[in-house]
Amino acid sequence: MNPYEHLRIAMAALAANKVRSFLTMLGVIIGVASVIMLVAIGEGAKTYIRQELMGIGTNLLIVVPGKTETSGMGHMPSGVQKLTLADMRALEKRATLVSAMTPVVVSNAPVKLGNRLRNVQVIGTDQNFEAVRNLHVEIGSFLSKADVDASRRVMVIGRTVKKELFGESNPLGRTVKLGETKFRVIGIMEKKGMTLGQDIDDHVFIPVETAQEIFDQDGLTNILAQAINDSAIDRAKQQIRQVLIERHAGEEDFTLVSQQAMLFTMQTILGTFTYVLGGIASISLLVGGIGIMNIMLVSVRERTREIGLRKAIGAARRDILLQFIIESVVLSMVGGLIGIVIGAGVAYGAKAVFPVIPIDVSTWSVLTAFIFAFMVGAFFGIYPASKAARLNPIEALRYE
Amino acid sequence: MTDTPLIELRDVRKAFVTGAVRYEVLKGISLTLDRGDYIALMGPSGSGKSTLLNILGCLDMPSSGHYHLEGREIVSLSDAELARLRNQFFGFVFQSFNLLGRYSVEENVALPMVYRGVARREGLRRARELLTRVGLKDFTKHIPSELSGGMQQRVAIARALVNEPKIVFADEPTGNLDSKTGQEIIGLFGELNAEGTTLVVVTHDPRVAEHARRVLTLTDGAIMADRRNQAVA
Repeated sequence: MNPYEHLRIAMAALAANKVRSFLTMLGVIIGVASVIMLVAIGEGAKTYIRQELMGIGTNLLIVVPGKTETSGMGHMPSGVQKLTLADMRALEKRATLVSAMTPVVVSNAPVKLGNRLRNVQVIGTDQNFEAVRNLHVEIGSFLSKADVDASRRVMVIGRTVKKELFGESNPLGRTVKLGETKFRVIGIMEKKGMTLGQDIDDHVFIPVETAQEIFDQDGLTNILAQAINDSAIDRAKQQIRQVLIERHAGEEDFTLVSQQAMLFTMQTILGTFTYVLGGIASISLLVGGIGIMNIMLVSVRERTREIGLRKAIGAARRDILLQFIIESVVLSMVGGLIGIVIGAGVAYGAKAVFPVIPIDVSTWSVLTAFIFAFMVGAFFGIYPASKAARLNPIEALRYE
Repeated sequence: MTDTPLIELRDVRKAFVTGAVRYEVLKGISLTLDRGDYIALMGPSGSGKSTLLNILGCLDMPSSGHYHLEGREIVSLSDAELARLRNQFFGFVFQSFNLLGRYSVEENVALPMVYRGVARREGLRRARELLTRVGLKDFTKHIPSELSGGMQQRVAIARALVNEPKIVFADEPTGNLDSKTGQEIIGLFGELNAEGTTLVVVTHDPRVAEHARRVLTLTDGAIMADRRNQAVA
C-alpha cells in the first residue's frame, strides 16, 4: 500500500474532527512556540551582552579596590587599602603586558550653566581613557596629557549634558560650574546611548586629580588596563596582581576582573537561563504529546468498527499501525509548524519592541523544534496505534 | 486448478475459553465448497454459523483442523498474508453494512483497492463501474448516511465485489432491511451468482435459502443437513 494513501486516510480522519484535532494540537503549538520564542530571545540577549561588553574596549582588565571574591577561611579584612595613582604609575612601569592604562574616579555632582542645572556622573580620568574605553570625542578634544598633568579645570561633556545645558548653542570654550568650581568645556563626546545600564551621554569627564581634589578623594574608583593582546590577558592579570600585592604589603586587597571573564560569566548565566526556560517549554511539548496520545486512544476506541472493517477488507496490522501513527505524527507536526510560526512571530514582535536586542530565530532551534514535534507524535502515537493494530477483527466488527 | 476444490475444511474445530469454561462452538466441520456455488448457511442462534463464516473468511482461525484454499493450507499464514487473502480472495457483506461515514459512496467501494495498492483514480473508476452494476450510478458522490438501508447494503455489496473476489461472504445481509428491500438484495445476489460469483450467505431468512443452490444447516456446531436445491440448480 502506498504511503501517500496512509497520509490521505490520516488527513481524512483528522479533518472529520477539526475542532478536536486543533485542540489536541494546541499543547504542541504552545510547547513549540515557547521553545522557539524563548531560545530566540535568550540567544538575542546573549548576543546583545557580548556586543555591549566588547564595546567597552578590547582585552580590558579592571582593577577595583577591595577583595570581592571570598578567598578561603581565616581571611580577615585588615582595612582595605585604596588604589592610588601611585599604584597605577608603578603598574605602568612594571606591567609589561599592559599596553595602556587609565585611572577612573567616579562621583556625582550637579553641573550648572547660568540657571540651568543637571546632576551628572563625573568621571575623573586621563588622556588614555578614550582609547582604553573605546569612547570618542566628536567635537573639540578629549583631556590632553597636559590637562591631566596640570590638573586643569577642563571638562569634556556627554551629548545629553550638552543638549540639556546648551541646547543648540556651541559649548566649546564656555564655562560651567561643577559644584562650586568653574570648568571650561573643551570637547563633546560622541553619542553612545545606554551601555550596560549606564548612559554615557549623561557623563562629564575631567582630569583625574582635579576630580580627586574637588571630591576630596585620594583613591581611585578603579583602574582600567588594556592587555597587549587577548592571549596575554591571563599573564597581564598575573603581573598586575604581583605588582599590587607587593605595593600593598603582601595583601591582595583588590579585585581583578577581565572583560573576558565578565563576558564568560554573563554568557553562562544567560545560556543557563535560556536552556532552563527552553527545558520548561519542552515539558509543555511533552504534555502536548500526552494529550495527543489521550485523544488517539479515544479515537481508536471510537473507530473500533472501522478498524474491524479495514482488517476484513484487507488491512494488515502494519497498515492499521501506520495509519494511526501517521495520524498522530500529522497532528504533532502540523502543531509544530503552527508553533514555529507563532513562536517566530512573537520573537520578531519582541525585536520590533526592543530593537537594541538582536533577536533572531535560529535555524537550529526551528529544526530541533520540528524534529522534536515529529518524535513526540511518533512516540505518543505508538501505543494507541499498536492497540488499534492488535484488535481482533471479529470483535471489532461487533463493537457497538 | 479445477480439480482442487475452492475451499476444503477438514475436521475444523473452534473453541472459546471464557474464564474457566471452555465452549466448543464448532465440533469438527468437514466441508468442500465449489466455484460458482451459492450456499446458504442456516441454523438457530448459537449453532456456530457465524463462527464458521469467520473462519471461512480468514477473519478467525480454527482451534484445530485444516483449511485449504485452492489447495493451500492457510492455518499457518502470517497476519500480512491473511490480510492479503482477505483483500484479494474474499469480499464481505455485513448485516450492519459497515460503511465509513466520512467517505463518499465511491470512496467506500474503492477502499479494498487502496489496500491492494491500486492507484486512487483507477480504484474510483472501478468503484463507479460496480456502483452502476448495483444500480447506484447516481449516488457515487453521496455519503452513506444520505442513502436508505437497502442502498447502503448495495454499496457494501459493490465494495465486496471491487477486487473481483473468489468468494463473497455475507453475514445476515437482509437482517437490517425491510422485507421488500431484503427481496431486492436477494435478487441481486441471485444475479451475481448467475454471473459467476461464488456466494456464502449466513441467514435466518428462508427466502435466501430458496434462492441458494445449496443449503447447509448447522446445529450445535455440526452440519446437520446439506441439501442441494434442485429448483435452482
